[in-house]
Amino acid sequence: MRDLQRRLIAATAAFLLGGALLGPAALAADVTDIGFVDQAALSNTPSFTDANRQLAAFKAGLDRDFARRMRGLHDQNTQARIAQEFQNKLAQRQRDLFGPLFERARVAIASVASSKNLSVVVDKRIVIFGGQDVTSSVIDLLNGPGDPIPPVNTPPPSSVGFVDQTQIDAIPKLKSANDDFQKFQADQQQQAQAKMKSAKSDADRQQILKDYQSALAGKQKQEIQPLVDQTRSVISDVAKKKGLLLVIDRSNLIYGGTDITSDVTSQFK
Amino acid sequence: MSPVNSNNGRRAVARALWLLGACATVTGCARGGETSGALASSAPLDSRIGYVRMDELVKVHPLYSQLARLDEDMQALQLKSVGSEIALSGADLAKEEKALQKELDAAAARTKAALVGKEQEYTRREQAAIDAALGAGAGVTGPGGAQIAGSISAQGQAQAQAVTQIANRNLNAYRKELVDQDRRAERALQQALAESAERSYRAEADQVQKAESDYALQLASADAGPRLSLRTKLSNLALDDASRADVKSQLDAIDRKESDALGAMKNRDTDKLVALQKSLHDKMIAQLNVQVAQIRKRTIGKLNERTADTQHALIGQIGRVGGGPGGAPVAGGVSPEMKAKLLALHQKFQHDFNDDASKTVAQFQKTRADLMRRFAQISGVDVDSQAAANKQMSALQKQRGDLYNEMVEQIGREVKVIAEQRGINVVVSDVVAPAGGVDLTADAEKDIESLHE
Repeated sequence: MRDLQRRLIAATAAFLLGGALLGPAALAADVTDIGFVDQAALSNTPSFTDANRQLAAFKAGLDRDFARRMRGLHDQNTQARIAQEFQNKLAQRQRDLFGPLFERARVAIASVASSKNLSVVVDKRIVIFGGQDVTSSVIDLLNGPGDPIPPVNTPPPSSVGFVDQTQIDAIPKLKSANDDFQKFQADQQQQAQAKMKSAKSDADRQQILKDYQSALAGKQKQEIQPLVDQTRSVISDVAKKKGLLLVIDRSNLIYGGTDITSDVTSQFK
Repeated sequence: MSPVNSNNGRRAVARALWLLGACATVTGCARGGETSGALASSAPLDSRIGYVRMDELVKVHPLYSQLARLDEDMQALQLKSVGSEIALSGADLAKEEKALQKELDAAAARTKAALVGKEQEYTRREQAAIDAALGAGAGVTGPGGAQIAGSISAQGQAQAQAVTQIANRNLNAYRKELVDQDRRAERALQQALAESAERSYRAEADQVQKAESDYALQLASADAGPRLSLRTKLSNLALDDASRADVKSQLDAIDRKESDALGAMKNRDTDKLVALQKSLHDKMIAQLNVQVAQIRKRTIGKLNERTADTQHALIGQIGRVGGGPGGAPVAGGVSPEMKAKLLALHQKFQHDFNDDASKTVAQFQKTRADLMRRFAQISGVDVDSQAAANKQMSALQKQRGDLYNEMVEQIGREVKVIAEQRGINVVVSDVVAPAGGVDLTADAEKDIESLHE
């Protein structure tokens, strides 16, 4: 009985110990579960090329109409209103043309990622080495007959986290600092431009540029850098707590990943 | 199961759990580490994924000085493009244009009114002279003259005045129509010439910009070898201070040489473009003046022709009126001598009027040319400079993009070698915040600095 108990304890300990060692591996899975896609190559597929051509033709027509409408107009408000009107038209057309294509590409990427057991697919630009290039598989699926079929499973847990930088930038404390910096930059630029106007030599102009850069760098170091460091530290802490290895920006993520944006933003409240 | 055994068993399970906790802590700590080669042996999971801080690696790349210079060029252009040369844009420009157009319209209206006034004045004086001649003819020619003068009744005078007024009104309407036509033609001409000048300038500016970009890349490529070699020397820790200073000064000299060469080219190009701009502007004004003068000449010719026709018709009609129904039917009702005298009078007044009108038109043309010059200064120069600045900015951005991509590719190759040596499966850049993984930045920095021995 005692032997049995010892064996049982030993087996439990071995199982738990093994589980402890394998646990992170399961979470981090295998680093080969990171895939990437060359989005530039996707944009060269026939459907995207055709949509681009249609958009270019539409834009050419809009440009002509725009030039006709703007002729002889000097009132800035009217000009801005008309420009906005045309931009909206172009954006709507772009949505109409590319919306279905993007959705189809998203499904194709998810399908390929699922079939290859990838936990995350990122943009090719940020992958320097390794990872699985799934671009050709995605293109084959896109060029194939019929619509790609969405995967049944959701992406597996990934050791790669992501944050939505735009949401983080909107945190009041960060937004306020950023707005202040933008205003400071605009003021400095205006002053530098005024000085440039009266500069008499290249040396004067060089000096004005140096002063301008120095003022911006000083302000950036004083006001922005501490917040950047703080944000990075918060993201890093959250990621560690969640057992993630890396955190990338949402704009570089195409599929999967672990979203920690809300965890990060809540740390600032 | 005895309590003792049971207790022993629980202690054993607790020990196992403690061990498990300790192991989990070890792995957890290892995951939390950011860097170090030691991590590779103690935390194999973390050590299979790496990352680099690309912005830092780019800064140690031998071509970074080129990249920084391009950034500075773009920043300077951004400041300059709304600085010295291009003072007006948007609302300011529209306001200035409107004010100038108003001045031009006012000058044209003044000229038109002056011409109408002069024309009326000369017509009145000519009419008075004709009346005087007819009256004087009556005085000097005895009974024949008196007979002619006497035949000009009060009714005839009134009819003559009415005819003159109608003729003048028609003439004025015709003149107005001609002046309006002229203005439209001049505006169209001005626009066409300005567009042509702008096209010529843009074409030249594009060529110059391309040549500058090519030259900058050529310089960078030519000096890449020596520069990298010097940088490699600098990375040698055993280098003494004097040698280090010497290498640095050589590097600075290369930078200066490139900067000077490019600066000299840019200065030459700027002078060339300024000269071209002035030449195009002068040429445009000259062409405009020539063609406007031709238009004006044609208009004055047409006007003179119409005026002469009107005067002839008037003289004929006045003659008929003066001749009366019972008068001799000699060429409009006056004697050949009187007719010749009246024609001479008309020609004299016509000549005087033409002289006077030409002076007024010349004055208007001068005013107009001044206004056109100012217009070209605020709009033509602005458009050209803005377009040139935009083109230059695009070219610089492209140049910067190409250079940056080239640098990143080179860095990528070095990082790949490091990753393979260290058994890392995946390396990424642009990490928002590291939480684990291997930071390869420091190793990559060393390799990149000693890239091109």
